[in-house]
Amino acid sequence: MNRRRVVVTGLGVTACNGVGVQEFWSANVAGRSGITLLDAFDATHLASKIGGQVRGFAPADFMPEDIARRVDRFVHFGLACADMALRQSGIEEGKEDPERIGVIMGSGLGGLMFHEEQMVAAFDRGAHRINPAAVAKISPNAVASQIGIRYGLKGPNMVISTACASGAHAIGEAFRKIQHGEADVCLTGGVEAPLTQFNFGAYCALRVLSKNNAHPTGASRPFDLERDGFVMSEGGAVLVLEERERALRRGAVILGEISGYAANSGAHHMVMPDPEGADAARVMAAALKDAGLGRVDYINAHATSTRANDVAETNAIRTVFGAEAPKIPISSTKSMIGHAIGAAGAIEAVVCVKALQDQVIPPTINLDHPDPACDLDYVPHRCRETKMEHVMSNSFGFGNCNVALIFSRAH
Amino acid sequence: MTNQEIDLKVRDILAKKLGVGIETISGDSRLAEDLGVDSFGAVELMFEIEEAFALKIPDSDIEHVRSVKDIVVYLDGWLNKAAGAVPPAP
Repeated sequence: MNRRRVVVTGLGVTACNGVGVQEFWSANVAGRSGITLLDAFDATHLASKIGGQVRGFAPADFMPEDIARRVDRFVHFGLACADMALRQSGIEEGKEDPERIGVIMGSGLGGLMFHEEQMVAAFDRGAHRINPAAVAKISPNAVASQIGIRYGLKGPNMVISTACASGAHAIGEAFRKIQHGEADVCLTGGVEAPLTQFNFGAYCALRVLSKNNAHPTGASRPFDLERDGFVMSEGGAVLVLEERERALRRGAVILGEISGYAANSGAHHMVMPDPEGADAARVMAAALKDAGLGRVDYINAHATSTRANDVAETNAIRTVFGAEAPKIPISSTKSMIGHAIGAAGAIEAVVCVKALQDQVIPPTINLDHPDPACDLDYVPHRCRETKMEHVMSNSFGFGNCNVALIFSRAH
Repeated sequence: MTNQEIDLKVRDILAKKLGVGIETISGDSRLAEDLGVDSFGAVELMFEIEEAFALKIPDSDIEHVRSVKDIVVYLDGWLNKAAGAVPPAP
């Protein structure tokens, strides 16, 4: 089957080290961390008190006030990023066939903020005091639905929830929808607003979060011996994916191309990866095959800053690329922005597209004492200019949900 | 609370909810026809009024509300005329 080619024509991002692609990308190239002590909620009694909050973000800059009031914070990120990405793409409401435009988003947790607030109200004052907006605000698919409603997009509309792989899964599935002709354009990506008392406390209870409260910007340190867990953050990203011929016909600026996607499961454990990374290796190999490639020029690793992940992922990269593995630069966006759960894969997709455009690899910061079990080229401390045609982005979710995406330079 | 105070408070809630100036809403404004409040919007509005006035309005009473004045008269009835019969504050 002659599959249709899928290109990227718009990007939008809200991350703790930058709102908007320009601010975010320059922070990444400069190796600037967005991790601080948390003030989104009271973390006094928790072992971890640090995270990546999106600051200086006013939802009303991107949507009418009445919509901003009606949605949870995770949807604020989605609507804001969709607005940025659509503007860049030049796709205008009314000029397109709305039935050919889909919205496929990822969110691991949904409308947690309002959910928690309403749970407190329900238990304190009785279930009859629940706000009637609760269903509409809390539902995880609110993000895709609200984007669809706002811009009148009537193609396939869904949310994929696979923990830390949600955003990458969404992009992969949107890619397939266009490839297979079920849509011509998709707004896709991931969002998360996980910095809430209950949710953050739950991750703390799992003992997976860094306790390096004394040095927030140094807390996320993938591949470093002194890492002590991941740092949770909030944010989102949206990409406009479009069938290539259509984008060329309307004279759109093509930012990059998606050339490969694979998804699988490790069927191993709910919160632990297979230590050998066999499932991660399989998904990377499958994505390479999907793209018809033997290797890539850069890997944006999942790299959470937990020992279990960093070692398994390194092993997997060795398995897939063999003798080539040490020659492929790898870096971790999470070293700067922490882990935005369901948004992570989408934010990292923005990094991949920008890296291909500018031919620059953002660094892995805080890699001061390399773990001997992680002995590949992780582009420590400083960004690196290099020639890249194809790059890979890995996302591995709790429950062993694995995704690999391959992005290629626009031609 | 006087009838006038109730009227002002209700119109203030509506104005904020709809994102319009309070002067554009009168007692005669009809919720659906004039203010564009749909059935979901009406449910949200009643919730906000319940919160603001610290009472619980039975669903069967909401069905009869058509205009701003209807709400004010209804609340006035509960708050001022039927002392002792006010629904318990939640």
